[in-house]
Amino acid sequence: MSVSRRDFLKSAGVTSLATAVTTVAAPEAGAQTGPRVVGPGDVPVVLTVNGKRLELTIEPRVTLLDALRTRADLTGNKRVCDRGACGACTMIVDGRTVYSCSTLAIEVQGKQIRTVDGLAAGGALHPVQQAFCDVDALMCGFCTPGFVVATVAVLEKHPNATREQITKGLDGNICRCGTFVRVMEAALRARNPPPQSAIRNPQSAMELSRA
Amino acid sequence: MPKYSWPDKPALLSTPVKRLDGPEKVMGRARYSYDISRPGLIYGRIVRSPYPHARIVSVDLSAAQKAPGVKAALAWKEPGTQVMYQGDPVAAVAADTEERARDAARLVRVRYEPLPHLANVEQAMADTAPAVFPGGNTRQGTQDETGNLPDGFAKAAHIVDATYSTHVITHVCLETHGCVCEWDGDKLTAWISTQAVIQSAQQFAQALGIPQGNVHCITQYMGGGFGSKFGPDAQGIICAKLAKAANAPVKLMLDRKEEHLDTGNRPSATAHIRAGVAADGTLTAFDAQSWGTGGAGAGSGFPLPYIYNFPNRKRVHRDVYINAGQQRAMRAPGHPQGCFLTEILMDELADQVKMDPVAFRIKNLPAAGPNAMWAQYFADGAKRFGWDKRHATGDPTRGPIKTGMGVSAHRWGGAGRGSRAHADIMSDGTVVVKCGTQDIGTGTRTIVAVVAAETFGLPVSAVKVEIGDSTLPFSGGSGGSTTAASVTPAIRVTCTDALAALFAKVAPTLGAAADDLAAEGGRIHVKGNASKSVAWKDACKLIGTEPIAVDGQWQDGLSGAGTSGVQFAEATVDIETGIVKVSRILAMQDCGLIVDKLTAESQAYGGVIAAINFALFEDRILDRVTGQMVNPNMEWYLLAGMSDVPKIDIVLNNMPERGVIGIGEPPTVSTASAIANAVRNATGATIRSLPLHPHKVLAALDQQKAGGTN
Repeated sequence: MSVSRRDFLKSAGVTSLATAVTTVAAPEAGAQTGPRVVGPGDVPVVLTVNGKRLELTIEPRVTLLDALRTRADLTGNKRVCDRGACGACTMIVDGRTVYSCSTLAIEVQGKQIRTVDGLAAGGALHPVQQAFCDVDALMCGFCTPGFVVATVAVLEKHPNATREQITKGLDGNICRCGTFVRVMEAALRARNPPPQSAIRNPQSAMELSRA
Repeated sequence: MPKYSWPDKPALLSTPVKRLDGPEKVMGRARYSYDISRPGLIYGRIVRSPYPHARIVSVDLSAAQKAPGVKAALAWKEPGTQVMYQGDPVAAVAADTEERARDAARLVRVRYEPLPHLANVEQAMADTAPAVFPGGNTRQGTQDETGNLPDGFAKAAHIVDATYSTHVITHVCLETHGCVCEWDGDKLTAWISTQAVIQSAQQFAQALGIPQGNVHCITQYMGGGFGSKFGPDAQGIICAKLAKAANAPVKLMLDRKEEHLDTGNRPSATAHIRAGVAADGTLTAFDAQSWGTGGAGAGSGFPLPYIYNFPNRKRVHRDVYINAGQQRAMRAPGHPQGCFLTEILMDELADQVKMDPVAFRIKNLPAAGPNAMWAQYFADGAKRFGWDKRHATGDPTRGPIKTGMGVSAHRWGGAGRGSRAHADIMSDGTVVVKCGTQDIGTGTRTIVAVVAAETFGLPVSAVKVEIGDSTLPFSGGSGGSTTAASVTPAIRVTCTDALAALFAKVAPTLGAAADDLAAEGGRIHVKGNASKSVAWKDACKLIGTEPIAVDGQWQDGLSGAGTSGVQFAEATVDIETGIVKVSRILAMQDCGLIVDKLTAESQAYGGVIAAINFALFEDRILDRVTGQMVNPNMEWYLLAGMSDVPKIDIVLNNMPERGVIGIGEPPTVSTASAIANAVRNATGATIRSLPLHPHKVLAALDQQKAGGTN
């Protein structure tokens, strides 16, 4: 299914913009060729999220972020600026990072969508997540899911990423608590995760029974 | 030895302990208020004034009430009342989806009668200003005078006379303000993003006219507050009322624009200062008229002069009201402003007497003390930073890129206060520690576990921590860097008493007096005889069916007050573009007994980075004609990204003898001043106002070329 920007904009009520977009984006509604008109109103949308099929019935104007957060209870990625400026909503779609707050859910059907919720395999932290915990690369944690996903994406693209490559990869993310120094440390560390953490880990600390 | 004290040789305290809830946060499993879902949840949306000042003529909800999916609508402001700033709440709706709630909010028809407004301090202070605020557009603030000002100026060999200022910034909490409200009859549950979970319950009860016992507030995780989240505010009360009217749980989280407009800001500060220095570098006199705006009817106080000894001084302050959202406490309220105004002046005075800025500051410090370690930090920091490589004002090297160094000092309180706690030790060895505090990202959950684990001789993982719930034992709001100093003594006292109760049960088995037992490494043993011991789990089997349950509270002697810090900055300035880049920061800081080295350091990093934003990037810009905020978003309200973050060196001075003192705020005070002084050192031009945006740097350079400003 493909959807024209015009239909989205019309359903969102942004008519002044829609007029400007019409000429380049879509033929007149009712024409025999071109994108099929969907909406306004709920339409079926099928997404593939963290390897699982997700069937939703949503308005075409719903963003990928809102679709997952409010219709699928996948609340790991956060809504912060809602305008593609801060990166808290960063997801990986077909291998590329996207701002899911500025991506329509209906536009990413048939694509592989990865969110922070799907990174830990069977409860074991992804090496990037482990590194964030090891060096305290988080505080309030609200930007953290976006940073984690962006870091995963950088390291998948550049397994031996340089400091400069990591900086470039994470420059679309904003943290208000000020965790950047340790986010960089975590990203560098996650390239070659150490086998045993040198820092006390509440999860792997000595067990009571062994005490 | 007092009954309650910190251990001489701690196993966990002051070591790096990983954040207890790190895994939940990095996996996206931590449920913030924004993430709460309830059966039948609907969404609230507030209608806000587009005008900075207007009278409400009428509020018509009828069209909104008929819109698809709408379950409730209410008027918040009555006809005849006034809105005092852009974003002042007027009405609200709730609908089954967020998108429909937004649609319905647009259908609320509010008729406004626009009134004259004041968009900035200059307009408010003008003789021709319209009388917007009852009682006047300005209000007399602090006035103090010490010594003899004419004498002070008579002793001065040099006088600096200039105006300094800082700008308004907003908190930009990444999780916006808001909550989920759900009623069960006349009982309210609110999942609220707050720095004060118990106080929020109190405020809900008061505003809604229900008993406090009927309100349950929950804040397991919250996405930043920085001083702006101490209660439900209008949006919380509106959310509760919508939920009542719709008979359904309502989520009402503000959007980014609302967050900028109506959830607080750091007030501006300006001071016209005349200051004198004797030929030998002794400060002699300080005379300041200061003012600032905290928005519509809110104050703008700040300390001035900051830290240094001006034996003869006078300061007169005025609060200026403008039609903008009210200020709220923001990370060390008042101090970054007072620090900047004073510290730039200090470098100008040092140049007058041709003294090194570090030596000049040391010469004019107040008396040293455990909470006033500046002299040591200046000296140690200068050595560590390579201050001896600093050139005199104005980088003499050729080319457009100039480098400079600057320095600044700060102080903060961070004292503890009443807080209660409860500890359970179960017969299977389980330990549960409860306290009605909240973790605002500073690591409170983790330090509760660290203190309990330290006391019981257990690993951190063996302690179950319950916080962030208004039904737990009383604790205060997380403001003023008071949380660590309030909570950790309560936990220490409570766990010490709980352990004593366990010792009493175990003593007969070990054939020793309870007083002669110690808990270490997961075992309870006889002091001085480690072979006579029992594992924690086996010891707890002796408890029986009724668990050890102990209440305790904060006591004096485990926490302290007063911190000091000094920061050094190195910055480069491109004198062709005016762009400033910070290359290095050194932060020398104390916070008493460090509880968790890892999370304490994170707070210091965070404070420094927040202040880089204050110095170089963020700025709330109000249109001078319309009074509307020009940049209520995150693309034009600039914040640092990874590329903007310099090398930051944190040196925490662990002072166990002082007890626990908060560190959330102090590290953010000095950075901007140190950066501004580094820019001055680099370029030779003095920029006396923040932020250090390129156009201001270029203007200062032009002014300098035209003959300087001194």
